[in-house]
Amino acid sequence: MTIRSLLLKTVAALLALTTVAAAQQYPTKPVRLIIPFPPGGSNDVVGRLIASQLSERLGRQIIVDNRSGAGGVVGTELASQAPKDGYTLLVISIAHAVNPWLYDLKGRYDPLKSFTPIAALASGPNVLVVNPGFAANNVQELIALAKKSPGKVGWASAGVGSFQHLGGALFELQAGVNFLHVPFKGGGPAMIDVVAGHNQVMFSSLVQTTPQIQSGKLRALGVGGLKRSPILPKVPTIAEAGVPGYEATNWWGIVAPAGVPQAVVDRLRKEIAVVQTAPVVLEQFAKEGADVLQMSQADFAAYMASEMAKWEKVVKASGMKAE
Amino acid sequence: MDLFNNLIFGFSVALSLQNLFYCFVGVLVGTLIGVLPGIGPLGTIAILLPITYSVSPVAAMIMLAGIYYGAQYGGSTSAILVNLPGETSAVVTCIDGYQMAQQGRAGPALAIAAIGSFFAGTVGTLLIALFGPPLADIALKFGAPEYFALMLMGLVAAAVLAEGDMAKSIAMVVMGLLLGIVGTDVNTGAQRFSFGIFELTDGIGFIVVAVGVFAVGEIINNLGDKQERRVLSTKLSSLFPSRQDLRQSWGPILRGTGLGCFFGVLPGTGPAIASFSSYMLEKKLAKDPDRFGKGAIEGVAGPEAANNADAQCKFIPMLTLGLPASGVMALMLGALTIQGIQPGPQVMTQRPELFWGLIASMWIGNLMLVVLNLPLIGLWVKLLQVPYRLLFPAIMAFSAIGIFSVNNSGFEIHLTALFGVLGFMWMRLGFPLAPMLLGFVLGPLMEEYLRRAMLMSGGDPLVFVTRPISAGFIIVTVLILVVMIVPAVRKRRAVIAD
Repeated sequence: MTIRSLLLKTVAALLALTTVAAAQQYPTKPVRLIIPFPPGGSNDVVGRLIASQLSERLGRQIIVDNRSGAGGVVGTELASQAPKDGYTLLVISIAHAVNPWLYDLKGRYDPLKSFTPIAALASGPNVLVVNPGFAANNVQELIALAKKSPGKVGWASAGVGSFQHLGGALFELQAGVNFLHVPFKGGGPAMIDVVAGHNQVMFSSLVQTTPQIQSGKLRALGVGGLKRSPILPKVPTIAEAGVPGYEATNWWGIVAPAGVPQAVVDRLRKEIAVVQTAPVVLEQFAKEGADVLQMSQADFAAYMASEMAKWEKVVKASGMKAE
Repeated sequence: MDLFNNLIFGFSVALSLQNLFYCFVGVLVGTLIGVLPGIGPLGTIAILLPITYSVSPVAAMIMLAGIYYGAQYGGSTSAILVNLPGETSAVVTCIDGYQMAQQGRAGPALAIAAIGSFFAGTVGTLLIALFGPPLADIALKFGAPEYFALMLMGLVAAAVLAEGDMAKSIAMVVMGLLLGIVGTDVNTGAQRFSFGIFELTDGIGFIVVAVGVFAVGEIINNLGDKQERRVLSTKLSSLFPSRQDLRQSWGPILRGTGLGCFFGVLPGTGPAIASFSSYMLEKKLAKDPDRFGKGAIEGVAGPEAANNADAQCKFIPMLTLGLPASGVMALMLGALTIQGIQPGPQVMTQRPELFWGLIASMWIGNLMLVVLNLPLIGLWVKLLQVPYRLLFPAIMAFSAIGIFSVNNSGFEIHLTALFGVLGFMWMRLGFPLAPMLLGFVLGPLMEEYLRRAMLMSGGDPLVFVTRPISAGFIIVTVLILVVMIVPAVRKRRAVIAD
């Protein structure tokens, strides 16, 4: 063993020691939480809720940094380039698993390899609603109507590649129907058009649609989760109502740039697990129509990969990527 | 009388000490963020939302609403004083308000903006109380064809915005349309003019363009002048509007309020459309349209009233149907849900204290804004006596902070700088800015509605004339064209006959 290599090894060992020490004290300064969407959206609501609770547990401020653009790609790319010290975290959602099929990410980041999964946070299903004046009273009737006049039933979505679009495209694929896709800039305007009857069908996020369903302005035909929602116990799942295997669920989680020290991951996982089940968070999630989602680190990574594979098929079959 | 009792009940709720306090906090915060460009009610409400979890639903809604309409007030202050549009809707106020300030009439401009806004806010509040639900039902009759026809009418009427060189005005409208195209196509998701820059995929922000061409462009222009800029030592006329100012303003305020209420009820119209429409209408009605752009008080009074009425009436679809007309309204709905209240038509009957308390608080909030703003006018005007070499770096700094806060990134600041240079060039070459901004606002909306109407009708253009509301707008559009063209043709004939 030469002196040089001995020196190098010593230095390396010392460095490793210091990072371990640093990780044990983590966090020693404020943590930045990048939310790749503008304030007010579901990512923002979930992210801020967790951030405020996590700040208290960690004893350090968590600074929320909204970096929107290109369906979340801008903020995600920024996070992928941040130092892997645990002081930059990223809130991801279903968009993370869909963006690789919508955008050219070459040379920017890899949705799986560029990040270390920390923890899953929550999930919330979509709901299939129609204008109350529309002839379909259940999923079967909707499929029959759509088959009778292909490309005629107006289906409003929040925009190309949105969760609302994905849920509808999955339905088209699995039920073998073809709607007239009418994209809007955001879920609000799309919902107004369905309530007004200019369009008939929408695959909306459950939480944003519940008030309209309960006041009878929209009729719910099915929820997109694997189980019925406690908010709408009488509404069947889309799977049991006629499209077996249908599941469209938005999910949220936290990741860090790849290579973040395991000690940091463990600390964060421990605190997030506590925060997720705190009564105040559970209460907020319930009101938002979201369920707590807890997975091991490995399961979360596998879930992200399976979501990517699932939506790749839908995106490619529906031709939603523009050239 | 039911309405009377309801309003009394509403005031009894809104006048409780706690609710008054939250109303005041709301309008104060709103005014402050309104003065700053970039940071708007949307971001502020999102950030303050968690604070509202612990207070009562009524107090929470009162405060959030106060932020929203308070921002509309604050936006005009910086527009008038330093040509800096604090909010999207204040852009129109820059045109004549800043000119008034240049002539030493900042006081009357600020005062008339406050008075106009207060009047419009009062009418808007009454409208919600009296006709909220039926108006919301009418608004739902507007689909893509109706919105397109309405905007077509607006664009044709906008020809009156043209001043001086017609070719230059048209060029600037086209420039605005082109800038508005940048970003992701709504129908196909295709990228347009984004050059692979992901920051451009959501389009160029209106506030970036407006602050660039107005505020930054003006600063470059001023610094380009050789002599140290005449600080506004030019005798400041009285702080308050003269009798003549008031006489000139009451008409525009009334009409602006009407236009603002109309556009406010329709959820599919953007924020600046009401104030632009009012400006165009006043210019068309004026005996001497030449004064516009050179400090006409009507150009401040009308748009400011329109903008505040619009902001107030945007609550109608939210309160009566539980439908969000904009991002801010979606957040307010979210705030209600978090409080355990299901938004929707049943709120009026099940939670009357919330519905009527909020309505009453809006009027109180508007009153607070006037009381807050009128005494401040003297202070604001004094600000103009700060030497320009100190003032302009401050404007630049505040612009940069505000623009940065839009997306916490430097990209928007660079873009603003670019538009500053462009704005300076346009100013020097005599290209009018208002038509460009109108094209920028209307263009993308018109395209969206036209293509959606075509998509839903299967490509049949008859959809615009077979639907009654849309047909009505088309007829008016044709009438406007005839009225504008006939005199021109007659003049030409006369010339030929000579």
